[in-house]
Amino acid sequence: MENHFNHPQRQSKIGIIVLFADSLQKYARAFLPIAFIFVLKGDTINVLYLYLGLLAIVVIVGVIAYLRYINFTFYIDDQKEEFIISEGIFNKTRTSIQLNKIQQVNLSQNIVHRIINVYALDVDTAGSDTKEGNIKAVSHEMALALKSKLLENENKVKTTEFTEITDPKTNFSVPFLKIDLVSLFKIGITSNYVRTIGLLLTFFFTIYDGLSQAGKTDVVSSDNVNSLIENKPIIYVILMFIVVMFAVVFILNIARTVIKFFGYTVAKQKGSLVLSYGLINTKSTILKPEKVQITKVSSNYFQKKLNVLEIKIKQAVGHADNKNKNIIEIPGCNSQEADEIIKLLFKELPQEGEMLKPNFRKLGFSIFLLIIVPLSVFYSVGHWVKPVIFDYVSIAVFYAVAITILLCFGFRNYRLFVNDDYIIKQSGAWDVDKEIIQIEKIQALTTSQLFWHKNINIGSLTLHTAGGNVTFYLGKFDRINQLVNLWLYKLETQNSNWM
Amino acid sequence: METFTNEILDLNQLPKHEAISLTPLHPSYWKVMLIKIAIAFLFIAVLAILAINFIDETAGHQTVIWSTYAFLLAIILFFTRLSFKKKAYAFREHDVIFRHGIIATTTMVIPYNRVQHVALHEGLLERNFGLAKVELFTAGGIASDLGVPGILKPQAEDIKQLLMGKIQIQL
Repeated sequence: MENHFNHPQRQSKIGIIVLFADSLQKYARAFLPIAFIFVLKGDTINVLYLYLGLLAIVVIVGVIAYLRYINFTFYIDDQKEEFIISEGIFNKTRTSIQLNKIQQVNLSQNIVHRIINVYALDVDTAGSDTKEGNIKAVSHEMALALKSKLLENENKVKTTEFTEITDPKTNFSVPFLKIDLVSLFKIGITSNYVRTIGLLLTFFFTIYDGLSQAGKTDVVSSDNVNSLIENKPIIYVILMFIVVMFAVVFILNIARTVIKFFGYTVAKQKGSLVLSYGLINTKSTILKPEKVQITKVSSNYFQKKLNVLEIKIKQAVGHADNKNKNIIEIPGCNSQEADEIIKLLFKELPQEGEMLKPNFRKLGFSIFLLIIVPLSVFYSVGHWVKPVIFDYVSIAVFYAVAITILLCFGFRNYRLFVNDDYIIKQSGAWDVDKEIIQIEKIQALTTSQLFWHKNINIGSLTLHTAGGNVTFYLGKFDRINQLVNLWLYKLETQNSNWM
Repeated sequence: METFTNEILDLNQLPKHEAISLTPLHPSYWKVMLIKIAIAFLFIAVLAILAINFIDETAGHQTVIWSTYAFLLAIILFFTRLSFKKKAYAFREHDVIFRHGIIATTTMVIPYNRVQHVALHEGLLERNFGLAKVELFTAGGIASDLGVPGILKPQAEDIKQLLMGKIQIQL
């Protein structure tokens, strides 16, 4: 039976459990201090009262969950083309979302949803984040039907764009890309080192701080550490430290990648991409090619050897603070699969075209900022304030060499490719990113030139899109201006659909 | 399909955004900027006088304090004048250009068909001089929004009407 969602309807009956869990979680925080006191004074209070109290709480929360279920309805108003959600027990809230404003419909499952086999459905809009719809529990069929209904309605507005055959069988999930565990492993061991190390250090210092505040520093006192490393050459200790560090980072990275992206599938549905992934919480996201603003393909040396790469897709953002929400990651596809996805997004494979190189002063400036300035500070401190730090001169040298190598690679990879329809910015020293922008997605253009760069004719260019900015520093300014004129011409002579 | 042509674009024939002469801000806007500086420095002067009279450590440092004050004032006046001189704008047929910046000259161009909405902003001081600021908002967020200050109110109104018309046509 086809459901048109024209009349107000409730969520899945079994979804009361989800609402119950949700409410329980909400009130648990409020009740926790009280419960804590009960437990502390456990011996003075009759256990019977404790159980009665707990039972009362469960019953109250149950009633609240039931009332929330009864009062929650949603439907599609065909005349006004709005999706309407009413909720609230005492304070009634009515949210109406215009169908053509809907940007994404996400299905997700947490552990409770999984057990009772229901889905949560989120509706994302392009505009403000206050007006977003969230349905806590619907059955799988209903979720899919509602999702396609919500999105199908939008397609009505631009019927010409999607002339694909909508065979009901192919309507739902014909995954054309599945990312297997091996690829996730590959991504896990080859990416995000810096982030994980940062997290580890934060974690370590938080623990250490907590311990020292509790006056228990002797757990990790220097005596302990000394006995562990005594009688061993210093190089051995450093090597051991590095090995342990890397092992931990690898394990954490793999665990994070697998938990987040387990069972990643990409399916085609009416010209959109449906992405679903997750081990504990399953997420399902719809991605519309025309809403994509910046597509970032990144890989590093190891990933190239292993033939995996990551794609990050930035969509239009309403507000600066929910930027992360609108980044969609596709980890661990090989280059053919990446090409397939890019072809789906752009209907063709963007070619690199003309290449713009940065001026050597870009390298000079970064060397000045990241090497000469810190080294002079190091030297001045050592010379005038504390000569002790000259003991660590080897670290300074190591730093200078490492950063120089990184900067040189970064400079060599720093390129802007321009062709008729696309702009591709390549950057990065280790992880090489390629950011692809369609010219029609540009919102505004900024050029910038330092006054002492006027005579040598170099300057910077910033492309503003609804998914963020992309800047190319110190290119040939003549050419940049010429390109800006060309792009302006292209933007102004056609009214393209940038979102 | 009747008169469809597809000539090769000559890049040198395209209108050059960097070469056109831009309109400077209205001279009264310089007065607005001056008054703002005057207010700020009056406030600092009051603080300085209070400090000299009530904090013992400042005794004997009066010359230092006032010469620093004068130096700061001179520097800020100089840079404000420079930034006023550097600011210029142009409303073209299809886009708006705004140029500003002392150390780096930054030129921003927003095509009208990317503008989401237009607003007119009048500060208290600006209103006394009959000035207004035209604000343009795009979907690109804060970085690609633009405010063109120092335009005479009637002119600003006209520009706003014009832009609204241009935006309406596209919808």
